[in-house]
Amino acid sequence: MRIIVAVKYVPDTAEEIGFDADHRLVRDADSGLLSELDEYAVEQALRLRDQLPDSTVTAVAIGPDDATAALRKALQMGADDATLIVDDQVAGSDVFATAGLLAAAVQSFSDAGALVCGMASTDAGTSAVPVLVAARLGWAGLTHASTISVAGQEITIGRTDETGTRTATAGLPVVLSVTDQTDEPRYPSFKDVLAAKRKKIAELDVDDLDVDPATVGAAAARVQVGAIARNPDRVAGRTLTDTDGSTAGELVAFLAETVH
Amino acid sequence: MMVVLVVAVVYSVIGVWLFARGAVRLIVQVRKGSPSPGRLLPVGRRIGATITEILSHRRFTTRPVAKVAHWCVMVSFVLLVPTLAAAYAQIVDAHAELPIVGGWAPWQWAVELFSWAGLAGIIALIIIRLRFSEHDPEPAAAQDWRSRFYGSTRWQAWFVEAVIAAVILCVLAMTACRNALLRQDPATAAAGSWVHFPTTYWLGSMVMSQPGHVLELSVGWFAFAKIMISMTWMGVVGAGITMSVAWHRFLSILNVYARRELDGTPALGAAAPMLVDGKPFDIRQIDDLAADATFGVNTITDFGWKGLLDFASCSECGRCQDVCPAWNTGKPLSPKLFTLALRDHAAATLGPAASKTPATAVSPHSDDLLTALARAGAAGSDDSANRGGQLIGPVINPEVLWACTTCGACTVQCPVDIEHVDHILDLRRGQVMTSAQFPEEFGGMFSNLEQRANPWGQPARKRLDWTRGLDFTVPVVGRDVADLSQVDYLFYVGCAGAFDERAGKTTRAVAELLHTAGVTFAILGKAESCCGDPARRAGNEATYQELAVANIEQLHQLGADKILVTCPHCLNTLSNEYAQLGAHFNLVHHTQLLNRLVREHRLELAPPDPGEAAPITYHDPCYLGRHNGEYEAPRELLGAAVVPGGADLLEMAHSGPTSMCCGGGGGRMWTEEKIGTRINTTRMGEATATGATTLATGCPYCSIMLGDAASSDEAAPEVRDVALMVLDSVHRAQNKHLAAASAATPSTDTD
Ligand code: SF4
Ligand code: SF4
Repeated sequence: MRIIVAVKYVPDTAEEIGFDADHRLVRDADSGLLSELDEYAVEQALRLRDQLPDSTVTAVAIGPDDATAALRKALQMGADDATLIVDDQVAGSDVFATAGLLAAAVQSFSDAGALVCGMASTDAGTSAVPVLVAARLGWAGLTHASTISVAGQEITIGRTDETGTRTATAGLPVVLSVTDQTDEPRYPSFKDVLAAKRKKIAELDVDDLDVDPATVGAAAARVQVGAIARNPDRVAGRTLTDTDGSTAGELVAFLAETVH
Repeated sequence: MMVVLVVAVVYSVIGVWLFARGAVRLIVQVRKGSPSPGRLLPVGRRIGATITEILSHRRFTTRPVAKVAHWCVMVSFVLLVPTLAAAYAQIVDAHAELPIVGGWAPWQWAVELFSWAGLAGIIALIIIRLRFSEHDPEPAAAQDWRSRFYGSTRWQAWFVEAVIAAVILCVLAMTACRNALLRQDPATAAAGSWVHFPTTYWLGSMVMSQPGHVLELSVGWFAFAKIMISMTWMGVVGAGITMSVAWHRFLSILNVYARRELDGTPALGAAAPMLVDGKPFDIRQIDDLAADATFGVNTITDFGWKGLLDFASCSECGRCQDVCPAWNTGKPLSPKLFTLALRDHAAATLGPAASKTPATAVSPHSDDLLTALARAGAAGSDDSANRGGQLIGPVINPEVLWACTTCGACTVQCPVDIEHVDHILDLRRGQVMTSAQFPEEFGGMFSNLEQRANPWGQPARKRLDWTRGLDFTVPVVGRDVADLSQVDYLFYVGCAGAFDERAGKTTRAVAELLHTAGVTFAILGKAESCCGDPARRAGNEATYQELAVANIEQLHQLGADKILVTCPHCLNTLSNEYAQLGAHFNLVHHTQLLNRLVREHRLELAPPDPGEAAPITYHDPCYLGRHNGEYEAPRELLGAAVVPGGADLLEMAHSGPTSMCCGGGGGRMWTEEKIGTRINTTRMGEATATGATTLATGCPYCSIMLGDAASSDEAAPEVRDVALMVLDSVHRAQNKHLAAASAATPSTDTD
């Protein structure tokens, strides 16, 4: 069985982020990396491999050539092989097109049994892709898992939020998305790094995947970005000091002004 | 007495045979190590250095009494060996002498002198051991096992010391009897004069009244006793190749011969290169690596033979343990126990015993060592002879490995040139590069270094934040100056200097002082990246070299030569470690440069007014002091900047070469200190005890670590970099000039 882990190459959020004239993120910055949240997905995929007999892990990414860096990292962590979906036509794809491409990629592997994703990408952050892919594939979707356990061919996840922990179980095949509460991603040893250098990264384009080019790319996007604005810098708050209520008027005026 | 002689000879044959067998076993065992290239050549220089080091005892850097006592015992051992040969003849013939030198007065004087000196020496050493030894093998209070001898095998030490004392007493007793015999016979009375027995004549007088045959018999029996005691020693030592308290007499000579640094300095500064198949690892040539290559030290034979020789040579003196900041704050690491654990593991797995010991056999350690390891929490998980097995876990507890700050205090202390820091780093390399096992916090630090080229994970653009608000522009290479030929220095700010608030103050102060003194400099700005020290000290040689290689390329492109740093870790890495990759730069630490500027009167200082002068103390950063030998410049600078105003420069209990680490080196800055007390607060305690109100230092790590300690303790002195104190002094001088100027030209302002 093949466990597929979807990884995304994202700009380093610590650096200045750039947008082009079409309001698209500049993706060729030299400080790109494997989305930190996707590292958790790779970790869980590797742990699933240990628990599911005769399974392998394939890392898949959609993106420009630079995105091989993200796949390389997944290989270093221990993925068996990697595939990059690279095609100029996919630039500007929205979540629906991305999900279509990923679903097609999964289907291109006849032995695919599970897809593991991070809970969100650190750039767009929609969290929508895993469920969309599950819907397209007709697989169960177990999302936002903070714990994963395997019993035979069944996967059980725990999903923890402020209200408590829910558990959900589904039989394979499944789409999983995992949170950063799952196990810390492993740091590859140098032996692993060397081994990863010897692994090849396969490349596929839209044609290879049998995806209709009209459904991908900026033109097909159902969401258009109108404008992008930076959050205003935070300004220091104002402190009113009083012991006799003399500033009440000022406070009311401030509140009235802020609400409007 | 013929029978007695036969007994002595037979016993000696057994003793010598056991000893020779032990020596062969040790040689075989040490040869099982990996290559230690360059440790045998050049022969001439090495022999010279060995003789100098041993005769001068210069690696005995502290404890003068023990040093002199040990020197006397050492020389007496060498001199008394020939007298052992004479002893066989003296069993049957009390008048027998060594051929040629036997009755020669200078030889007799030397033997006498060093018999007494050896006796005094060994008594002194016994007293020292008694004073510091454990009386209770399982002391209840932690401080009771702070003795430097804690964990050393006591019976072996007592045995060795008792043998020396007993042999010397035999020699003196024989000398007395033989002197009396000579004097009783008028024909030989001249040979028994005080000229030949200058310091034992009086002993002879004491036994003169004894009849001749009693004296002859006494000489025979004392000679027999001397032989039996010596041969018992040979046999016991030969049978126990881990009895390094005895073996160090021979092995330390080889160990000193094969020392890392030919100039006699300890194995500090640059870390030894990581060897793969005997060759230094080079990240630029990883395509040449074998597919099954392993990195660092994973099993005992991954150590170079010099490492195995190190472990076998430890005298168990505990000088290293005594100064280790980790051990002294309750961590499980003691460099001595670490060395001994590896020594015993090597003997159990590489020696002939290995084939006979079942794999599940109990640990080969002595009871004293076992108890110490267990009490310190340093015991391996399964200390059975796991042949060819992993060291970390079964033999060395991971907590031991990661507790080290690489401060080098142990290596400076070790009289037999054991290279603790290099061994610890090699084991860390094995853990990180081969097994990817390390403290969790390092994972983030490594990723930050790989992705953002600094251990804090800060974005590169923030590297310029410290320049804001200065009233002059700090030139950036490539932006304000084309290349470095236009300035005096490249100011390599360092990650702490750029991102840490406290260290940033030092950076600003240095920039301001350079500006004042008219020294031109430029920085790399956003293009700067970490020197790689945090990765290297944490065992991540690959990440270190990635950073180093990129840095070297950039520095060469920009024509860098003279580089100024405020961080001793940058200093060590750029000057000592980049040289291993073929790049040579001239590094200067800011305290050195500022000191030069003050001497050249390019910076004018004014001491504080007498009323404001407050006592200060100086903390030696490990990587400036022990690793790079700079103890003077910062002190001289403080002396010029502050002391003339009446402030005292006070020294802490540990300073100079025995200075105690702040706790931040060796990657420890990024890990939590969960065991024992904190190193930084312990060190701060020493500073507080001096009564100083300011603690000056010259390293951003020290400033951060000690500053943290000071912030939680009201009595603690304020932590400031030397540069800040110099800046204050320069400002005082400037203000005095302004005041003088305005006094000279009365203000016309009538307001
Ligand atoms: S380098 Fe320092 S911390 Fe490490 S073992 Fe030696 S004395 Fe202890
Ligand atoms: S390692 Fe060196 S300093 Fe430490 S106990 Fe052994 S001989 Fe003494």
